[in-house]
Amino acid sequence: MNTKDELLKIFSLKLRTILGKIKLDFDKLQEIRLRMNAPLLVIYGNKEYFITEDARLVDNPSLAVMITKNEIRETMEYISNYSLYAFEEEIKQGFITINGGHRIGIAGKTIIEDDIIKGMKHISFINIRLAHQVKGCADSVLPYLINKKTNGIYHTLIISPPRCGKTTMLRDIIRQLSNGNTKLPGMSIGVVDERSEIGACYMGTPQNELGIRTDILDCCPKAKGMMMLIRSMSPQIIAVDEIGSREDLEAIDYVIGCGCKLIATVHGSSIEDIINKPTLCELVQKKLFERYIILSNITGVGHLEEIYDASSKRLYAANDPAV
Amino acid sequence: MIIFKIIGCIMVIASSAGMGFYFSSEMKCRIDDLKELKKLIVLLRGDIRYANTPLPEAISSITRRHNGNFEAFFKKVSSQLHELSGLTFPDIWKKSVDLNLMNTSLTKKDKLYLIQFGDHLGYLDKDMQINTIDLYITQLEDEIKEASKSAKEKAYLYNSVGIMAGIFITIIML
Repeated sequence: MNTKDELLKIFSLKLRTILGKIKLDFDKLQEIRLRMNAPLLVIYGNKEYFITEDARLVDNPSLAVMITKNEIRETMEYISNYSLYAFEEEIKQGFITINGGHRIGIAGKTIIEDDIIKGMKHISFINIRLAHQVKGCADSVLPYLINKKTNGIYHTLIISPPRCGKTTMLRDIIRQLSNGNTKLPGMSIGVVDERSEIGACYMGTPQNELGIRTDILDCCPKAKGMMMLIRSMSPQIIAVDEIGSREDLEAIDYVIGCGCKLIATVHGSSIEDIINKPTLCELVQKKLFERYIILSNITGVGHLEEIYDASSKRLYAANDPAV
Repeated sequence: MIIFKIIGCIMVIASSAGMGFYFSSEMKCRIDDLKELKKLIVLLRGDIRYANTPLPEAISSITRRHNGNFEAFFKKVSSQLHELSGLTFPDIWKKSVDLNLMNTSLTKKDKLYLIQFGDHLGYLDKDMQINTIDLYITQLEDEIKEASKSAKEKAYLYNSVGIMAGIFITIIML
């Protein structure tokens, strides 16, 4: 089943028919947004379009098909496989990851108990963010990650704002390091995939290619997962997405202390952003990471902006080829 | 001529007794079906409680492990859930109860309870699922208990009434 068919399955019958008729390059489709009593909207090739009843992309919202309560209800039923209870933990965080690794953001009325989010009801806003595998997108980055002295890699942190391709970049780095090449032997990699975004495992099988020497711990909290993997799978490299909590930092200390190499991603747009974050600043101050990769979307998703080393020395800059 | 009368009498008594035996065996089959259903619902509860498995996956796994009277029912529910055809879960469940439980001995009341059980599946959180399933299992246990009790009393009655009715009709006809 291709990406299009796989994705269309989660929509209500009416939306499935409309979206099925549109001639779109699904590789360029970034987001589909459903908001109750609002027009159907897509982000396609970094531009916003509305979709009409007769399956045309237009700029005028008044021509677009309107999303009703029923469309949202039916779509949520399919997204959750008729089993909202199975996604309790994900709903508390505000998103569900579906087959194919696509992330579905949801918003509605939160149910609070003792200051803790217990769930969500009256879900009225859905944002479908499409995951794309871009094989080879890490080609330009990899030479900077390889430590020629040890024939291994450096501890690496990928920094990028949302929708700039950091998970895609991480995925390709994992795939290439795991498979290895003529210059670098393949390494065993443990991936803690808390949100099923990296490997997009469906019933235990990764839907994205992560290489032949990769073990994936799916839907597992990062901090616990990193420790579990070290004890159980003896990886040479541990890869995680979107670090940020205090527990994550403790687990990172543990991973680095164990002699494993670490590749992680974090939200931000520069090293300064990370220094300004109360928990993450320790990472930079302690010089735990030896390479910082900064991404942006200036020339498109996954634009490689800069690469720094542990002492914040710039090794690469897109706008300064002299570096 | 008398020989035809004797054959006729034997046929009337045999068919009437057969009906008696049929009803008494139906009661036993119903108990077996209810016990089987309970076993499958316990499996479903296990899948949901242990692994938070979504309904289509949990029902598919039941289908793989079971090949009795409920196979067609669970297979149909599972395939329809995977189709994502626009029907809600209670609709799919009800349709399948109506069409795919023909070869079981469940009564109308049993099917009604099963439909009502489907109405509350997939709704709200995990605790709600477990409570709904527990409640249905208790309901099934009560039904099994009641049916077993009445089976002991009624099985003998059905058998005797069947034979006696056959003899009675024969006498009247003669």
